[in-house]
Amino acid sequence: MQMPSPILGTERLEKTFAGGDGEATVAAVRGVTLGVDRGQFVAITGASGSGKSTLLHMLGGITRPTAGRVLLEGVDLATLDDDALAAIRRRRIGFVFQRYNLLPELSLVENVSLPLALDRVAPARCEAAALAALEAVGMAHRATHRPDGLSGGEQQRGAIARALVTDPAVVLADEPTGALDSANSARVVELLARLVADRGQTVVLVTHDPTVAAAAGRVVRMRDGEIESDSAGNPRP
Amino acid sequence: MRLGGLLLRQWSRRPGRALAAAASVAVAVGAVVATWTAADASRQGYQRLTEAIAGVPTIDVTARDGQRFDASAVPRLADVPGVRAVVPLFYRPSLVRVGESRLREVAVGVDVEALVAEGLLALESGEPCREEDELVLDATLAKGLGVSVGDEVLFFARRRIARMRVTGLAATDSLRWFAEGATVVVDIQVLESMSLATAEVDRVRIALAPGASRDDALAAVARRLPETLAADVPAGRASLAEDVLHSANLGLDFVTALTLAMAWFIVGNAMLMNVAERRRGLTLIRVLGGTGRQVRRLVTVEAALLGGLGAAVGAAVGLAAAAPISAGISRALQTTAPGVAVHPLLVPVAVALGVVIAVAAAWWPARQATSIDLLEGLSALPAEPPRESMRGLLVAAAGLTAVALACELAMAYGFLPPRASVVSGVVLLLAFVAFTPLLLIPLVRLLGRLVPSRWRIEGALAVSQIARQPIRTALTAGVLVVAVSNGIGLGHAIRDSVDDVLGWYAKMLKADWVLTQAGALSVSRQDRGAASRAMQEEVGRLDGVADVEGIGVATGRIGGKACVVVARDLPAGLPLPLAPVDVTEADVRAALERGEAVAGTVLAQRTGLKAGDEALVEVFGRSTPVRVAALVVDYTSGGASLVVRRDAARRLFGMEAADVLLVTAAEGRSAALREPLEAIARSHSMVLRSYGDLRGFIDRIVSGVVGSLWSILGLGFVVGSLGVANTVTMSVLEQQRSLGLLRAVGMRRGQVVALVVLQSMLLGAAAGIIGLVSGVTTALFIQFASQPLLGHPLAMHIRPGVVIANLLAALVVTAVAAWLPARRAVNLDLLEAMSAE
Repeated sequence: MQMPSPILGTERLEKTFAGGDGEATVAAVRGVTLGVDRGQFVAITGASGSGKSTLLHMLGGITRPTAGRVLLEGVDLATLDDDALAAIRRRRIGFVFQRYNLLPELSLVENVSLPLALDRVAPARCEAAALAALEAVGMAHRATHRPDGLSGGEQQRGAIARALVTDPAVVLADEPTGALDSANSARVVELLARLVADRGQTVVLVTHDPTVAAAAGRVVRMRDGEIESDSAGNPRP
Repeated sequence: MRLGGLLLRQWSRRPGRALAAAASVAVAVGAVVATWTAADASRQGYQRLTEAIAGVPTIDVTARDGQRFDASAVPRLADVPGVRAVVPLFYRPSLVRVGESRLREVAVGVDVEALVAEGLLALESGEPCREEDELVLDATLAKGLGVSVGDEVLFFARRRIARMRVTGLAATDSLRWFAEGATVVVDIQVLESMSLATAEVDRVRIALAPGASRDDALAAVARRLPETLAADVPAGRASLAEDVLHSANLGLDFVTALTLAMAWFIVGNAMLMNVAERRRGLTLIRVLGGTGRQVRRLVTVEAALLGGLGAAVGAAVGLAAAAPISAGISRALQTTAPGVAVHPLLVPVAVALGVVIAVAAAWWPARQATSIDLLEGLSALPAEPPRESMRGLLVAAAGLTAVALACELAMAYGFLPPRASVVSGVVLLLAFVAFTPLLLIPLVRLLGRLVPSRWRIEGALAVSQIARQPIRTALTAGVLVVAVSNGIGLGHAIRDSVDDVLGWYAKMLKADWVLTQAGALSVSRQDRGAASRAMQEEVGRLDGVADVEGIGVATGRIGGKACVVVARDLPAGLPLPLAPVDVTEADVRAALERGEAVAGTVLAQRTGLKAGDEALVEVFGRSTPVRVAALVVDYTSGGASLVVRRDAARRLFGMEAADVLLVTAAEGRSAALREPLEAIARSHSMVLRSYGDLRGFIDRIVSGVVGSLWSILGLGFVVGSLGVANTVTMSVLEQQRSLGLLRAVGMRRGQVVALVVLQSMLLGAAAGIIGLVSGVTTALFIQFASQPLLGHPLAMHIRPGVVIANLLAALVVTAVAAWLPARRAVNLDLLEAMSAE
């Protein structure tokens, strides 16, 4: 029986940054090959500087790799121009940031509907989809509030709703609990786990917090730009 | 929600930022409208001033042999482009008797009715004379004699005495362009008949239309004339006002062009800051899947909307400012203000200009916003200017400098007209502004060391804040660089040009009294030699006269180019009234005594004459070789003069008469000479003026021109100040968060205000220094550009007062501009400030 292809994968992925003022170049990610199946909840952990965030940014098409490939639903992101990559980010990827990154001048529902508005979806449909996404994260009652009137946890749940509004192939979260207290962290992690369990959403998150990583079904540990261990496979020697 | 809605939300959340951006366009467009209007008013004022002094711009057609000629020999000239009227003129010394008063006056015969109809002669009262027993009197003379319209006077010309009725009184100013001192105006056929000189004229004067090119008209007229006639610019009239005004007009071009450049910087900086402040938000849109095109459209639409709004306000303010500015300039020039004529297209064009400037200024920030790395764009730290940007600026600065220098060299070798110096000056200024980001930070660091120790911490923080954003602070500084450069550069150039002319006139006019032949300064009559000598002796015999110098003037030609031959006595006891170039005064005297000539630098420039050349000089229809011993700075007839001693002029050219007598009085005897000199002047049909009258006449031109130019330069500084104030306000708004953080870690409010003000003043001081270097270089460029016009380099003098005033103004403007926004910023709630984006 043929196994389904991963929804998101990398092949010998590398990212090198040029050193400043005569310093040597820095290899942030070195030859990472990884596959994420549909409906998986993957946590990428590692110490600071291990390359986990850089890996996530390449998975999300935010930064381009120096070498290797990123495949999303079979499409090699490296072959896409800027506009095509923007379309992928708009329609197939939902991104959750550590610092929420909600636009302060928009209400919560307007922030959530922004990816749809960028795709020129009719305003009424945008609002309906945004309210549905807010409902899914338990924030519909705060739809008309501005971000500066919400707590950190509420803002992050709003950001998760924004990531879900386009029904993406994968949700990528970069330290989603990094700016939250333990209670709110737990709520956010629980929300992500429920999205995976109930909706079959594929979630890949980066964290340095072992309790957050433990909530994921699969933990990939990185060290010095390489995968040190992967609970889905054999650990590297 | 559409992206347009996002724009409105951003404006409503940060109205100050949007308003400041719109205000920058308002300042820019208002400045352009006001400066354009002021420059236009100045040019009109100069035109009226020139006409008031020198009359209507004209060309003279005269006989090459200097005699009267048949008017029918002049072909049709009325259809030559630029010609307004063709006016045959006939002069006749005459006697006028009113009651017991007998006056020797010069009468001029002209078609009075046609001149009045054309608007070239204004009558204060009455109507033109037509019949053979009618005449028009100069209104000033009539007032002195107590004569009114309808009165009768006895008029004696060559053939008869006639009882003539005064039909009109002519405005003295309106006579000036053709009367040559004549105060009695008679129909030309009547005067010719009375003088037994039917159909003969002394000259045909061609009045040019306003704005017509005199050179083009002169060439066109000359092509049509027979060999016996020549066309020339009337000597002595051509450049008296233009000597001072040519650099003033050049200065106006500079100011207008530089105001446009300043407008660009003001708006460019505002748009850059407006976009940079929203870097994270715009990057987030891209991260969420917005395309670069969408982001660019957002920025461009915003720029267009803010630009249109700002431009509408700016155009209104500019127009409102135009009327008092124009009135002030007209007062400075002592002419009548024409009133501000608002062209129907001015406002729509100004609004369109504002939109275009805003959109164009937003182009680069929009490009930056869409090309920045997504991660960098999302970070809280400000983006470092890429190294390529700084290298690009260095290349641009070097390139612009090379273009400016190439322009100047092309002008020096005659490949480009002197007016191209406007282009090279603006390009050079842009080069300095391009150098500003490269020079600003090192300068600021250096100046930071001069901050008093009391504000050492604030000074150090101010320097580091400036260094964070070199390109943006350089744009703010660029506005001041332009303003200071303008003030210092143009201020010096204009004053140096004016001082050069004034210095020459001071040297030239070393007499107490000046007697000029009515109808003189144009053609010297060979048959007046004996009478002229007799008159000079008569003046010399007067009690209280220390010296009398006679000056004869004739128009001539060298190499086909018009010149003025000036024959002077040059008494040994008096200083030489010429400024030699590359030789001594003793050399010039010796050469003149040998019967050689010296040439004005402008004549030399036009004809290619050099010291030592032998030139063929045509005077009175005869060509005579003359050795040109040296070149001199001489502003007679705009420097197109050839100077010889009178005895040499008699021998070489047959110039007998003195058209001008310079009378030097003995110590304390000047006032007492007025009456006897007036009597001699009347008996020989000459005009008497005191040195004070002439000097006042020149001073009027100078003070008016300088006053008008300083007004416009001052306007430029005000605009620059508003621009700086606006961008400093935006800069402080942008720093709210960091200022809040500083307060959170314990900095006092007063310290924060000092930090912001110091930051602004350090920028102002650094910009002032760059502006000083730029200004001095601009002044040198303008002086260099004047050389082809004047034929000699102008001496440049650094005026410490001008420099210090401009530098101080830069410091004060920046300090004041930062004060209020700083006070507002520190009075914000601490948490609100720290959470500001």
